[in-house]
Amino acid sequence: MDFLRPDTLAEALALKAQRPDAVPIAGGTDVMVELNFDHRRPAALLDLTRIAELRSWDADGDNGDTVRIGACVPYTRIIEELGERLPGLAMASRTVGSPQIRNRGTVGGNLGAASPAGDTHPVLLAADATVEAASTRGTRLIPATDFYLGVKRNALEPDELITAVHVPATRAPQQFSKVGTRNAMVIAVCSFAVALHPAQNRVGAAVGSAAPTPRRASAAEEFLSAELTSTNQWESPKPLLDSVKRRFGDLVAEAASPIDDVRGSAAYRKHALSVLARRTLGWAWQDYSGKVA
Amino acid sequence: MTATAEPEVGRARHRKEDARLITGATRWTDNMQLTGMLHMALLRSPVAHARITSIDVTEAVKMPGVLMALTGQDVAAEQGSLPCVWPITEDMLAPPAPSLAVDRVNFAGEAVALVVARSAAEAHDALSAIDVDYEDLPVVLDMERAIEDGADLVHPDLGSNKSATWVFDSAEAGTGSDVDAAIADAEVLVERTFRQQRLIPAFMEPRSVVVDPSPDSVTMWSSTQVPHILRWMLSATLGIPEQRIRVIAPDVGGGFGGKLQVTPEEVLTMLVARRIGKPVKWTETRTESMLSGHHGRDQVQRLTIAARRDGTVTGLKVDLLADMGAYLRLIAPGVPILGAFVFNGIYKFPAYRFTCTNVFTDKTPTDAYRGAGRPEATFGIERMMDELAAELGVDPLDLRRRNWIRHEEFPFDTVTGLTYDSGDYEAATDRATELFGYDALRREQAERRANGDTVQLGIGISTYTEMCGWAPSRVLGALRYAAGGWETAAIRMLPTGKVELVTGTSPHGQGHETAWSQIVADRLGVPFEDVEVLHGDTRISHRGLDSYGSRSVAVGGVAVALAADKVLAKAHTVAAHLMEVGEDDVEFTAGTFSVRGTSTTMTLGDVVTAANAAHNLPDGMEPGLDADATFDPSSLSFPHGTHLCATEVDTQTGEVKIRSYVCVDDVGKVVNPVIVEGQVHGGLAQGIAQALYEEAVHDESGTLTTATFADYLLPSAVDLPHFTTDRTETPALTNPLGVKGVGEAGTIASTPAVVNAIVDAVRHMGVSDVQMPCTPMRVWKAIHHRGDGVPTTPGAGGGLGSVNVDDQAYPRGGAE
Repeated sequence: MDFLRPDTLAEALALKAQRPDAVPIAGGTDVMVELNFDHRRPAALLDLTRIAELRSWDADGDNGDTVRIGACVPYTRIIEELGERLPGLAMASRTVGSPQIRNRGTVGGNLGAASPAGDTHPVLLAADATVEAASTRGTRLIPATDFYLGVKRNALEPDELITAVHVPATRAPQQFSKVGTRNAMVIAVCSFAVALHPAQNRVGAAVGSAAPTPRRASAAEEFLSAELTSTNQWESPKPLLDSVKRRFGDLVAEAASPIDDVRGSAAYRKHALSVLARRTLGWAWQDYSGKVA
Repeated sequence: MTATAEPEVGRARHRKEDARLITGATRWTDNMQLTGMLHMALLRSPVAHARITSIDVTEAVKMPGVLMALTGQDVAAEQGSLPCVWPITEDMLAPPAPSLAVDRVNFAGEAVALVVARSAAEAHDALSAIDVDYEDLPVVLDMERAIEDGADLVHPDLGSNKSATWVFDSAEAGTGSDVDAAIADAEVLVERTFRQQRLIPAFMEPRSVVVDPSPDSVTMWSSTQVPHILRWMLSATLGIPEQRIRVIAPDVGGGFGGKLQVTPEEVLTMLVARRIGKPVKWTETRTESMLSGHHGRDQVQRLTIAARRDGTVTGLKVDLLADMGAYLRLIAPGVPILGAFVFNGIYKFPAYRFTCTNVFTDKTPTDAYRGAGRPEATFGIERMMDELAAELGVDPLDLRRRNWIRHEEFPFDTVTGLTYDSGDYEAATDRATELFGYDALRREQAERRANGDTVQLGIGISTYTEMCGWAPSRVLGALRYAAGGWETAAIRMLPTGKVELVTGTSPHGQGHETAWSQIVADRLGVPFEDVEVLHGDTRISHRGLDSYGSRSVAVGGVAVALAADKVLAKAHTVAAHLMEVGEDDVEFTAGTFSVRGTSTTMTLGDVVTAANAAHNLPDGMEPGLDADATFDPSSLSFPHGTHLCATEVDTQTGEVKIRSYVCVDDVGKVVNPVIVEGQVHGGLAQGIAQALYEEAVHDESGTLTTATFADYLLPSAVDLPHFTTDRTETPALTNPLGVKGVGEAGTIASTPAVVNAIVDAVRHMGVSDVQMPCTPMRVWKAIHHRGDGVPTTPGAGGGLGSVNVDDQAYPRGGAE
């Protein structure tokens, strides 16, 4: 196995173009597990840890209202440095693994692995994030919604590397919640994220660990967005009716197509998602009502 | 006897061994590097039950660095059968247990071939070049189906999947009345079936073996709890004269019973090192450990309790099926039988029958795991007491009070024929309920029920007792166990007055070096720091029966005290002789002998020097002050306690949160409260984990699907509540230290407290049981009455996908 250690992004992209079979490694919290179990013996590893530009974040876009997070920024820094700007992503990051894993693991790695159970995916979907992919051919932005193609499959071309993820800083409430079989160091039985987008009169909602890919709960998003807009609640929020929360939860559950597996049955996952959706929406809306008032 | 100003026994000393253990300064077995050392790797069967039709190692032998590859056929004449020393009945069925499968495999994970290479990596790589053909046989997994007529057989030669049935009947034993009559006359009868899921010991240090053969003798380092038993059994199994085997258990990183074993890997490492004439090392991976190291628990418990309307229990009937797995390991048949003496708990039951059938299945063999038979029994009776209380509509604590042995009734002869020497269940329970705020929590529970809160509150009780100090040799003899239960200690008084203590116990995390030093320091009045504790090497500690069954302090610690007393007795004689007075005129305080009523004194150090110089000793006295003692206890000891657990159960998701956990344990006299506290905390963690998290799951083909720590859920700090612990102290009356033992108490007591609390939280919703581990899904299904048939497979965490599930539709990967 070759171990490639580029010092710059340009070098890394050149290597990836030459060696599309090289597996990128940053924190190693996913790749090393597979190597240790001999589930995978790649011909080459492409170590990204020396590339400084992948380890920084900055606020870009008009008024700095989008945060660009380098692919190798670890969860710990997202929690500590971006907790206020990107509350949903920080919440999800706090539930990843253990402190040691949060020190090493990265959102870029989460995206690269594209596991349906990845903790940050529902938040990225609900928050309208965009994945920045680069190759020697250039750089492109892939909406998170188009990024997840199948179990552990994403929209990257063989010569591409994930360089960053762009997440809108909406200054509006976001929530993330998951069910696990213990409180840490566990892979979610199911997870859910909700993000309010008042500027667009819209709600984002997405499920994890409950379908072959993380996915948006589009029907639930449309129902709730329409409901809130038609009752003028973005301007003057009122406590949400139980019937609205319930319908939202049901639609979220319908968005999932879970399976029975060792972590939980499909029926339980659907049920739990509806509970998570109702609760997180309740928290987010309470927060929003407080802010507007 | 108090020999120092501040007694050492009872002092909260920090552990003297911890610095080297925590900093990695010690040498674990896998750290051993010997000149010319080779490495062994084992190929394990991926199938649970099959005939091996061919094994071809020719390609493996050609791989880089490989020196040797062997199959079961190659070692069949030499490997013998792995020992089982506990034939519980005369007619017990026991299959031959090869270390390397010869023509059949009986569980997934059984070793079928081995490779020896220059490096561990080369040995592992060569395994994939071994070609094995298996012809599948029907897989036997379910115990209840395994004992039906016409069932497929794990070992067809034995003619049955039932290894043995062991019965204790109080009417037959003359210790009580007839349970069938009690059941026939019962005013209230409660029957339940509980399942004790299969657990994996999950010690921190994976097992490792190094064997250094020389023409004259062979040395084995092993990460074992039982170096003395291992030496004896290696000799018996392989026919090597015992005096030519030296076994060393260096510092060992945990065992929990999982290293109370004579393993196939120890036998095979020994065998190949001798064959090849060079040192050989084998160290397992975590997954290998989980697949092939023995498992624990795994019982089906059918329980019937009979009572009068006033709550007086009139009889208990216990029917167990215990899963042995594919073979009978070292003490496996006796493990469930230990529960026979615990099912009656702290109660005065007049009639009792215990029946246990040990069953073969095509699964990893089971054997001792922390508590070994006692946690299962304690769970059974403490769950039943709650169920009976619910049936009668009384407070479960009141029901216990009505039936337990009152403190003035000790010593008490129980329905199982044991005599409990001491205990005070009232004191422990009163203290626990006070710390817990029992009445306030009951009020809050009632309010939440009345309000229909989403999150309901439950209170779980476990008033346990158990048996420590294994064991009086006569008791073991009566139970058909092949060995004794005594323990030895030897004290070497060095010329400089320092002390070497040799113990036959084999600590693997318990802190014996500290506790034994305290006992010696206390007895002899020497500084704690002056005592060096030696253990684990059969050439240094030549007599011993090792550590398991909460025996170390109650048997081994007592032997230490007795050895110290012998030193002191001889020193007393020497001191009197040297001070030229009668022995009765000499007294001993704080390490100094003095002549009553005078200022003449002599320190123990001076006496040691004089005894070693031997210039002036009483006629006929041997020089030196060394002494050893072997203690065979007259009785088991019976720690007890009251554990109270409050859980909050989210009725919408099934999530269980432990809100508070209080335990008040009575482990007799305490040598070191810090060590006791550590044992209680660790024990609680393991017991709570059985209730909430851990389960070894096999799929329908017999593959273990929980063979990594991402799937087999050990609790971490964030999964456990704050523990409120306290103690009452009723000294044991059957040994001179008054100690009872604490190694397993927390594990034994805590599991039923947690499950009782969960059931209590949702009993008003029609729930009378939740099968362990009580995952959110199982709790939710129980609440919504979707429980039928649910709990058989899923349960554990799921994550890395363990073995052979690369293609599953759902994810693997460590850090999602």
